[in-house]
Amino acid sequence: MATKKLGFIVKSLPYKTEASRLAMTHAIASQTVEIYLEDGDNVEPVVCFIGDGVLNCLRQQQAMKHYGVTSLEQHIKNGLLLDMKIMICKEDIERLGLKEDALILDAEDIGGETKAEIVPYSEIQGVMESVDHLLFC
Amino acid sequence: MALKDQTPTETIDVLGRVCPYPLVLTKKALEKLPSGGILKILCDAPASAEDSIPRYCEKQGYGFEAVKLEDKGYWELYIQKK
Repeated sequence: MATKKLGFIVKSLPYKTEASRLAMTHAIASQTVEIYLEDGDNVEPVVCFIGDGVLNCLRQQQAMKHYGVTSLEQHIKNGLLLDMKIMICKEDIERLGLKEDALILDAEDIGGETKAEIVPYSEIQGVMESVDHLLFC
Repeated sequence: MALKDQTPTETIDVLGRVCPYPLVLTKKALEKLPSGGILKILCDAPASAEDSIPRYCEKQGYGFEAVKLEDKGYWELYIQKK
């Protein structure tokens, strides 16, 4: 009986690659695998955006307009709606000159209660060192 | 009395959402439901209505009933929290 922690570290840009989308999809899907596990076993995902990956967290993405696919914006909001832990690297949003109000930090418009957290890289490094499985996307 | 004949404590609508959202949203709603409460779910995702949600209920020991509304193309699912 144990909870396995999964860390999804998103470094990829939001467009022209499926990597960040797959990270969100797998993290969300992992919240249902307990039905296939032994009683008492579970998994707990955390998604961290670092480096250029923080650009996935920008509001008002135009993925549908330019590429004909749904944007990461909705996937991130769905994650928050499902109470998933989402962390965004503070140093990287500062390096790219992004303001907090330009980022997806909540999903209140679809009934979500959980908020994304902007945290120092050291905190994300702590996550990477503490999870049971780590996936860089 | 069958669960479907009782007044649900809460109803959630996950129509149009595909796996895994119906199950995860169901789990989230059940967390807030008092013990003994009944959750009614409107769901049109076959994999969720016929597999993942009943499987979850069985694992948790929750009461479960499904009514397939052929004419409407979705299921009404009833879960009683233990």
